[in-house]
Amino acid sequence: MKRISINPGRVDWSGENPGIYLKHHQDDEAYCLLSLFFRVVLSPYGKGHAAIVLAAPDTAQGWPQETNFIMTDNQRMMRWIVDGWVSKMPTFVGRAGLQQMSWLDLDSVQRQPGDLKTDYREILRGSGVTLEMHWSNLGDPLPVEVTAENSATKEHEMYSVFLEAKSAAVTVNGTELPGAVQSRQFFGRTMSTAFLAFSETWVTPANQ
Amino acid sequence: MPLSEPITPGVVDWTGENPGILLKNDDDSFAAMALFFRVAWSPVGQGQVLLLYGSPNEVDAPTDAPNILVSDNADLSEYLLENFIGRLAAFRDAPAFDNLHHINAQSIHSSGDPMSHRYTETVSGEGYTVELVWEDLEPPRALELMPDQVGSGVHTMFTVLVPAQAAQIIVNGRSLPGKLGTRVQAGFETTSAFLYFSETWIIPPQVP
Repeated sequence: MKRISINPGRVDWSGENPGIYLKHHQDDEAYCLLSLFFRVVLSPYGKGHAAIVLAAPDTAQGWPQETNFIMTDNQRMMRWIVDGWVSKMPTFVGRAGLQQMSWLDLDSVQRQPGDLKTDYREILRGSGVTLEMHWSNLGDPLPVEVTAENSATKEHEMYSVFLEAKSAAVTVNGTELPGAVQSRQFFGRTMSTAFLAFSETWVTPANQ
Repeated sequence: MPLSEPITPGVVDWTGENPGILLKNDDDSFAAMALFFRVAWSPVGQGQVLLLYGSPNEVDAPTDAPNILVSDNADLSEYLLENFIGRLAAFRDAPAFDNLHHINAQSIHSSGDPMSHRYTETVSGEGYTVELVWEDLEPPRALELMPDQVGSGVHTMFTVLVPAQAAQIIVNGRSLPGKLGTRVQAGFETTSAFLYFSETWIIPPQVP
């Protein structure tokens, strides 16, 4: 395939989109925790931040009965991204917790980047919740460019820079949620289920 | 358009945001030049850097049109100066390059919406407040450029370009003189005022 310098598609949104997916055991089929962070710098609905935490992904209940919530400072943008992207990702598709998660207001986001090798943290506060996402033992940056056929949504092209994290944790109001980072097949490589994702851009191809 | 191989070969040099404004004199020489960097990953960490040539053709610039490098990460500003800015002929060959005044940033913030009318970056430190203003913004475009299509001449580069039809560089409340010019990037005619988001610079592998 020949590279086309000016992508003829429509840029949908761009920013950062790291995640932490945990299982109790490597052999478990299902994840016990799904979490994603968003720092969006460009979208049709402006800029904003968000984090999705589903500690009971298959339970149709939101916070505080279950730790299923999204915190955001731009709800309109995130409803568009959840509908158009997150709900189509294989890890999230059909999850009852995603449909019933609580929408919480986000007051502040604090990034603690460390040295980008040993530690990286995003700390979010709002609606009586303090959420900390912690990635550690980070690998080298891996640039990826993904066709629509190969992308998580199967509808969008995607560019990003991934950093694998060998370990990670999600803490809500001081309590670390259960589960551990496992390995998975990712673009033909065995990689962990925790990752940073910088400079991520989603494009709707010109033929759609 | 992305290639079918999802992992781009090469080593990530840095990734982040890299908007700029180049103002010209009537004789087509540069009147003022500014590049801003908001780096999400580099070998020397995250950070923000403003490079301003208020007087590109002067080794000793006046205080109302200074030649300064303002940063919240001194290692990053040195890294970019040596490995990136020094490879851009328009910046490296200017007399201003040899006598930049290095300044610690006291505050750095963006405002506006890159998919609306106006976007700004404001950087302050040691008595200087520099505001970069982009207006009349065009829709974003995703670019994939090869080494022969980029200023450094050695990188593969992915980015999201938002061209601006109007722009200002304001130093301590005074707008620097000069007007926007045109430029051609990968066959695409655009202006000399640009926002670049989710930009990744990759050193391709050596071809034997």
